[in-house]
Amino acid sequence: MFDPQEFIEQQIMKLREEVKGKAVIAASGGVDSTVCAALVGKAIGDRLLAVYVDTGFMRKGENENVSEMLRRLGVNHKLVDASDEYFDALKGVTEPETKRKIIGEKFIRIFEREAKKSGAEYLVQGTIAPDWIESGGGMRDIIKSHHNVGGLPKDLNLKLVEPLRDLYKDEVRKVARALKIEVAERQPFPGPALAIRVMGEPTREAVAIAREACAIVEEEIEKASAAGKMKLPWQYFAVLLPVKSVGVQGDIRAYGYTIAVRAVDSVDAMTAVYSKIPHDVLEQISIRITNKMKDKVNRIVYDITHKPPATIEWE
Amino acid sequence: MFPSIMRVLVVDNGGQWTHREWRVLRDLGVDSEIVPNSTPLENIKADGLVLSGGAPRVGLDREKMGKCGEYIDKAGFPILGICAGHQFMATHMGGKAAPSKVPEFGKTLITIDDPDDLFQGLPDTLVAWESHNDEVTELPPDFVALAHSDNCSIQAMKHTSRPLYGLQFHPEVENTDNGYEMFQAFIDICEASRKKA
Repeated sequence: MFDPQEFIEQQIMKLREEVKGKAVIAASGGVDSTVCAALVGKAIGDRLLAVYVDTGFMRKGENENVSEMLRRLGVNHKLVDASDEYFDALKGVTEPETKRKIIGEKFIRIFEREAKKSGAEYLVQGTIAPDWIESGGGMRDIIKSHHNVGGLPKDLNLKLVEPLRDLYKDEVRKVARALKIEVAERQPFPGPALAIRVMGEPTREAVAIAREACAIVEEEIEKASAAGKMKLPWQYFAVLLPVKSVGVQGDIRAYGYTIAVRAVDSVDAMTAVYSKIPHDVLEQISIRITNKMKDKVNRIVYDITHKPPATIEWE
Repeated sequence: MFPSIMRVLVVDNGGQWTHREWRVLRDLGVDSEIVPNSTPLENIKADGLVLSGGAPRVGLDREKMGKCGEYIDKAGFPILGICAGHQFMATHMGGKAAPSKVPEFGKTLITIDDPDDLFQGLPDTLVAWESHNDEVTELPPDFVALAHSDNCSIQAMKHTSRPLYGLQFHPEVENTDNGYEMFQAFIDICEASRKKA
């Protein structure tokens, strides 16, 4: 069986050997990159700089929460606001793989820039097994290009360090608990963020709708779970669909967009079942989203597909 | 002298769950490694092999299954083919595989028809996770079917005298019931075969 303590000791030793100079770590505030930051921090101390990028696709309150969390973790860190760059780069882009590739490459270019400023030669990433498996390569089919794999340019001028490559999320969480990382149980939030929770072009307006809907889904599900009504799913969020339908709001015809609510249970993200959320929780989510979004969104659907055949996120 | 730890390798045919097979073997205390399917047989030092699934359509691009045929013919130790590995084993041994009339993706109910050594002590019906477009449509000579589902009559098979096994479903994923037990049974088969050798 996987032994987190043994893993931690081995990795710290290995990282001390491997990382001789300064390093930057791509930090999202999620469990993978935070575990990495803690491990590399233990190995090389102050020579590590955690870089968090605000892509403009982050969830409600995320920038503030992550900065605070990194501060409490005690690693050097920096927030880079790149939202204008990202919205510009994705103008008119609708195809999911193209979105992911643009986002991934932009991340790397930003990390290269920050590495140069701080004199770092190494880039640490919290890549885990499903990231490189699903990104394909060799004889493996490309299911989706994960931003930390598919966006890597051939001319990357940093040495890549990925201590969690062979782990799945459940194993990363074991390491996180052993390291007493506060985000150990946080739900996964993939790097392309809300840009892949908007089907079609991720405009500022569309991302704002997805952000609000995601916040409501999170609040209602977390509330229901805290009240003992349901088990907290592995991942739970909202997706904005480019499908319009007819409704009636305040005796007036409405013609608005659709939000899909997605919640799944999984152990390692390689297979997943949709969560059997109680109907009154779904009802509350539906009422809150449609009231909040007024005529922009007038229909909510619940995604009842397992992985496979679907994947957890929609893009 | 104490016997050395069992070594069961995973031959990578490009499956989404190849690395999961490695993980289950490691979790069960076996020495394991993922090797490309182009690895020459003489470089494979093992007590057993798992042939992973993969994107190759066995009927269309057999050459992508690399040296899997050579392993089946000459290795001597037990081999477990999963999904594409299972379909390849069937066709290589003289059976047939073809596109499924109803492909299965995700949750499927499996009925065990013959527990044999792989399913010993497991329930008669169990939930297994699937992901296949093709399936074995005709058993090779000297093979028997061990399990079926509503849409696929050969979910598991074995050779009647050689240690060759095939599973259409995926015992390596978390959502398949009793998957770890099936892997343990295969490890036991490898161990018994090593003692005999």
